[in-house]
Amino acid sequence: MALLQINDLIVLYGEIEALRGVSLSVDEGQVVTLLGANGAGKSTTLRAISGLARPAAGEILFDGHSIAGLGPEAIVRLGISHVPEGRRIFPGLSVKENIMLGGSNRRASKAELSREADAMFDLFPDIRPFTNALGWTLSGGQLQMVAVARGLMAKPRLLLLDEPSLGLAPVIVQAVFRIISEIRRNTTVLLVEQNARMGLSVADHGYVLETGRIVLGGKPDELWGNEAIAAAYLGGHAKVSA
Amino acid sequence: MSAPSENMPMAVSAARAKPLLLRHLPYFIGAAVLVALAATIQFDGYILNILMEATTFAIAVFGLSVVLGLCGQINLAQAAFFGLGAYAVGIGTSDYHVSYWFCLVGGCIIALLAGALLGMSTLRLGGHYLAMVTISFQQIVTLVMINTIWLTHGPDGVSNIGRPALFQSAQSYLAFCVGMLALVGYVVWHLSDTRLGRAMRAVRDNELAAGVVGIDVFRTKVSAFALSAVLGGLAGGLFAGGFAYVSPDQFSFAESVVFLTMSLLGGVASPIGSAIGTGLLILIPEWLRFLKSVPGLYLAIYGLSVILIIRYMPDGIWGFFNLATGRWRAKAKLRGAGPALRLAPAAVAGDNVLEVKGLSKHFGGLKAVDEVDIAVRRGGVHALIGPNGSGKTTTLNVLSGLYKATAGKVVLDGTDVTEMPPHQRAAAGLGRTFQNIRLFRSMTALENVVIGAERPGNALVGHGEDALNERAMSALTFVGLGSRANELISSFSYGHQRLIEIARALAANPTLLLLDEPAAGLNSSEKLELHELLKRIAAQGLTILIIDHDMTLVSEAAQHITVLNFGRRIADGESMAVLRHPDVVSAYLGSD
Amino acid sequence: MDLALQLLFTGIGIGAVYALVALGFVLIFRATNVVNFAQGEFSMVAAYLMVVFAVDLGWPYWLSFLLALAGMALLGAIFNLGVYYPLRHRTFLPVIIATIGASILLANSVLAIYGPQPQVLEGWFETPGIQLGPVYLDSQYLLIIAVTIVLVIFNYWFFEHTMLGKKLQATSQDKEMASLLGISVSTMIMITFIYSAVLGGLAGILVAPVLFVSIQMGSTIALKAFAATIIGGFGDVAGAIIGGLALGIIETFGAAYISVPYKDGFAFLVLVLFLVFRPQGIFGERVAEKA
Repeated sequence: MALLQINDLIVLYGEIEALRGVSLSVDEGQVVTLLGANGAGKSTTLRAISGLARPAAGEILFDGHSIAGLGPEAIVRLGISHVPEGRRIFPGLSVKENIMLGGSNRRASKAELSREADAMFDLFPDIRPFTNALGWTLSGGQLQMVAVARGLMAKPRLLLLDEPSLGLAPVIVQAVFRIISEIRRNTTVLLVEQNARMGLSVADHGYVLETGRIVLGGKPDELWGNEAIAAAYLGGHAKVSA
Repeated sequence: MSAPSENMPMAVSAARAKPLLLRHLPYFIGAAVLVALAATIQFDGYILNILMEATTFAIAVFGLSVVLGLCGQINLAQAAFFGLGAYAVGIGTSDYHVSYWFCLVGGCIIALLAGALLGMSTLRLGGHYLAMVTISFQQIVTLVMINTIWLTHGPDGVSNIGRPALFQSAQSYLAFCVGMLALVGYVVWHLSDTRLGRAMRAVRDNELAAGVVGIDVFRTKVSAFALSAVLGGLAGGLFAGGFAYVSPDQFSFAESVVFLTMSLLGGVASPIGSAIGTGLLILIPEWLRFLKSVPGLYLAIYGLSVILIIRYMPDGIWGFFNLATGRWRAKAKLRGAGPALRLAPAAVAGDNVLEVKGLSKHFGGLKAVDEVDIAVRRGGVHALIGPNGSGKTTTLNVLSGLYKATAGKVVLDGTDVTEMPPHQRAAAGLGRTFQNIRLFRSMTALENVVIGAERPGNALVGHGEDALNERAMSALTFVGLGSRANELISSFSYGHQRLIEIARALAANPTLLLLDEPAAGLNSSEKLELHELLKRIAAQGLTILIIDHDMTLVSEAAQHITVLNFGRRIADGESMAVLRHPDVVSAYLGSD
Repeated sequence: MDLALQLLFTGIGIGAVYALVALGFVLIFRATNVVNFAQGEFSMVAAYLMVVFAVDLGWPYWLSFLLALAGMALLGAIFNLGVYYPLRHRTFLPVIIATIGASILLANSVLAIYGPQPQVLEGWFETPGIQLGPVYLDSQYLLIIAVTIVLVIFNYWFFEHTMLGKKLQATSQDKEMASLLGISVSTMIMITFIYSAVLGGLAGILVAPVLFVSIQMGSTIALKAFAATIIGGFGDVAGAIIGGLALGIIETFGAAYISVPYKDGFAFLVLVLFLVFRPQGIFGERVAEKA
C-alpha cells in the first residue's frame, strides 16, 4: 500500500479547475517528483494534500486513511509536513526560533525543541552561523535550508517540498538538492519542481502535470528521454538534449 | 463562450432622444407633491421638529452615501461638517446679522474646503489610518467649538438663529427643506451614472485597476470628500435655521456614528437607502420613546445595530432589495450592438511602439529585474516569457506604473512614461489586463467597458453618454458578449470576465495592449478562441505585448519573443528560434 | 526647572497608561491586521468594574482588582467571538465599523446601567505621595509607572522567551504558514484578544484614581494610545511604548505651558501631523518586505 495515494483529485480556484482529475501515488521511502510548467497545478496538488486547499472531488489517502478536507493543523499532526513555495520564513523571528516552531505539531518543551533544533544544524551546517539572525536578513538559499529544517522538525513521514529551487542560483540549487538526497534516507519526499533536470536527478519516480492533469509518469530516465516532457514545458517546439 | 456576434439584431434601444429632465419628470412631480404636503398639512410642533430633523439628517447622510457608499472611503467626521454649516448660519445670522442665504452658502463653502483638505490626506493614507484622521478631525472641530468661546459661545451654544425672510414660518421652512432634500436627492441619485460617479465606484471596487484604466484616483477621492462635506454643511445650515439653536454636543463624534449607522442601515451605496435608514432611525426611537428616557440605552442599541447590520446585512435594507431585483434590471433595455469596433492606435514614433532600456527593479537587495531591454515593434504580437520567478510580472508592473523603476527608461510611442503614475500612462495610450482579473464587480459589463472608453485622450469616442455607450457596445460585441452587456460581472464565467477586461482595454483605443496571462485558467477551446481574438485585434493594427505560460499559445500567436530568467534577458528574437535556443531550454528544464 | 521636573514625572505617569493601551492595540493589530476601536472601552469597563466591586460592594481592593481583570479576560473572549471572528475574512472597512459599533455599545451600556455621574475610585495606597526634593511623587503615578515597567518586562519575556509568545508572533507574521506548522491560529487570536483586553483593563484600573471614572475616559485614552502607536511606528511594540511615554510628556507640558482646555487636542494634532508627514512613525517599518 502506498504511503500517499491520490485518486482523481479535482480542485477548484473559484471557478477554474486547477486540478482536473489527478492520480498519483508515493511509496514509503521514495522520492517522487512532480514536474510541470507554471500554472500546471503542481503547487495546488501539494496544497490539497496539506489541507490549505479543499478538494472538490477525489480521494487523498495517507496510510490508507482519507485526509481530504481536513485542515492543515490536523494534517501536519498526522505526519505530513509541507514546505511551501517561497519558503515563508517568519521574518521577525530568528533562524533557530523558526526551526523550533517546526515542532508545533506535537507536545514538546522548549528545552526539547531547542535540543532538536541544535541537532538540525548538524544536518544543515551552512546555516549554523545564522542561528540567531532574523529571518528577513537571510539570502534565498539560506532561507530554503531553514525552511527544510523547519519542515523536518515536525518529524514527518511525508515531506512535501514546493519548488525549492525557485529563484536560487544554480550553485545553491545543487547544495539544496544534496540535502534532499540526505533526507531521503529517513523521510519520504514528494517534491514539486519546475526545474525538471534537478527534480529528476534525485527522484525514484516522476510525474508530469500539464494544465491540471498528469500527462506522463515513470522512472526519471524514461521521462527525461521522452520528448513529451519538453512539449509540456515549451509547447512542442523545443528539443531536449540527452 | 459564444462566437463573436457582429450580426446581432438591432434590439430595442430605449431612452435615447428624450432630454434628461423630461425623463425624470415623475421624480419632480413626486417631489413637488411632498413639498406641497409639507407646506399645507398642519403638523403639531413636535412632529414638525421630527420631520425637520429627519430631512436635514437625510441630506447629511446623502453626503455619506457619496463618500462611503459610492467611493468606498471612510468618513467619520460628517457631524463636523454638519456642525460647520450649522455654526456658519448660527453665528452669521445671530451675531453678525448677515443674511441667511449668504451664511448658508458660506457654510457650504467652508465645509467644502474642509472636506477637500481632509480628502487630501488620502494621498498617503487609506484604511484605518484614514479612519483615524477623520476621527481626529472630528474631535478637533468639536474641541474648537467648545473652546473658542469668543466665536462660538462655547458650550452655551448659539440661539436666535435666523431664517430666510421667504420661509419664516416653521411650516414653510419645512417645505423649503423638503425641497432641498428632493434636489439633493436627485443630484446624488444621478451622480452614480456620471463620469465622476463611475470613477468613484471604480475606485471603490478596485483602486488599482481604476488607476490603470486612466482614472485619477487621488482627485476622485478628494472630490468625494468635498462633496460629502458640502452636503453635510448644507444640512447643518438648514438644521440651524430650523431649530434656531445649536450647541457643540449636537456635532460630536457620537453624531458621526449616528449618521454612519443611518447610512449603513438603509444601504450605504444609495440615496434611497440613506433616506430609508434615516427615516427608520429617527422614527423608531420616537415610537419607542422610553428608550430615550434611560441615558445611553438609545446609543447602546445604535452600537449593537451597527454590529448586527455589518454582520448580517452589510448592504443594508435597500441593498437587500436590490440584490433581489438585480436580475430583473439586467433584462431591461437591451442595447444595439453599435458599429464594428474600430481601433486606431496612435503611431507617432518610428518602428517601435515600446522601447524599454536598462530597466531595473530592485526590492532591497533582490534584483527582480536587472537591466532589461525590450523593443516591441509596431503591429503584431510580442511575448515576454520566462520560468517562475524570472521577473516577468514585475516587469509588467513596472511598465504599467504600479511599481517605480529603480533604473532605466520606458518610452511608449515616443513619450517617456518612466515617471508617470498609472493613470497618466493610460492617457498616453497604455492598455492593460490583469492576471487575476480586476473588473469593477459592482457594475455591469457595459459600465466596466464604458469606464475603459472614458480614458482621457481617447480620440475615437465623442462626448456624451450615448457616444460612450456606443463605443462600449462595439467593444463588447467584438469580444462576443454584446448581448449580455447589462449583466453584473458576477454572472459571467471566468473566461468571459477575461474577455470583458479585454473589451475594457480595447474601448480605450490604446496604442499598446499589455495582456497579463490571458490564458490562465482557460480550457483548450477557450484558449483557441482567445487566439482568434488576438488575431483579430492584431489585424486592426494594435500591438500586443503578452505574458503567458502557455507555450503553445505563445508560440502560435507571437511573432517575437523575449525571454527573462533571474531578472535578466537571456534571449530575444523570432519565436521559433528563441524556443529552440539552448539557453531558453535549460532555463525552463534545468541545466547541469 | 522644578516645574519642569514635576511635569516630567506626571507626563511619564500618564504616558505609561497610554503605553499600556497602545500595547494592546498593537498586539491585536499585528495578530489580525485590525485596528480595534473599542480598545479604550476595555479600559473604561475595567475601571467601572473596580468601582462596582471595591466601592459599591466594598470588597477588598486586591480582590476587586483580580475580579475586574478576570472580567476583562471574559470580555476579550466575547469580543473576539462576537465581533472579530465572524468578520475575519471581510475587508478592513466592515471590521473597523464593527469595532466602532462595539465601542459605542460598550460605552453606552455602561452609561445605561450606571448612569452619567462620574465616579471616584480611591488610589491603592493610603499615603497620597512622597516628596523627593523639588518633585512631589504622587503614589498612584508611582504605581502606574511601576506596574508598567513590570508589564513591559513581562511582555518582553513572554514574547521573546516562551514558545507561546513565539507562536503568537509567528501567527502575526504569516497566518497560513503558522497553520501549516500545526499552530492553531484561532486559538492564537483568542489569546491575543484576551491579553489585549486585560492590558487595556489594567491601564484603566491604574489611571482611574487619577482621572474621574467616566464614560468618556475610554475614547479619550484610546485615541491618545492610537496617536502613540502612530508616533512610534504602527505595529511596533517598542514604538508603542515609547510613543505613549512621549505623548504623555508632550501633552502634560503642552497643558501647562500652552493651554489647558486644548490639552486633549495635542494628541490629535500630533496624530494628524505624523499621519500626514511621517506615517511610518519614528521607528518606521522594522521588518523588511520582499517583493
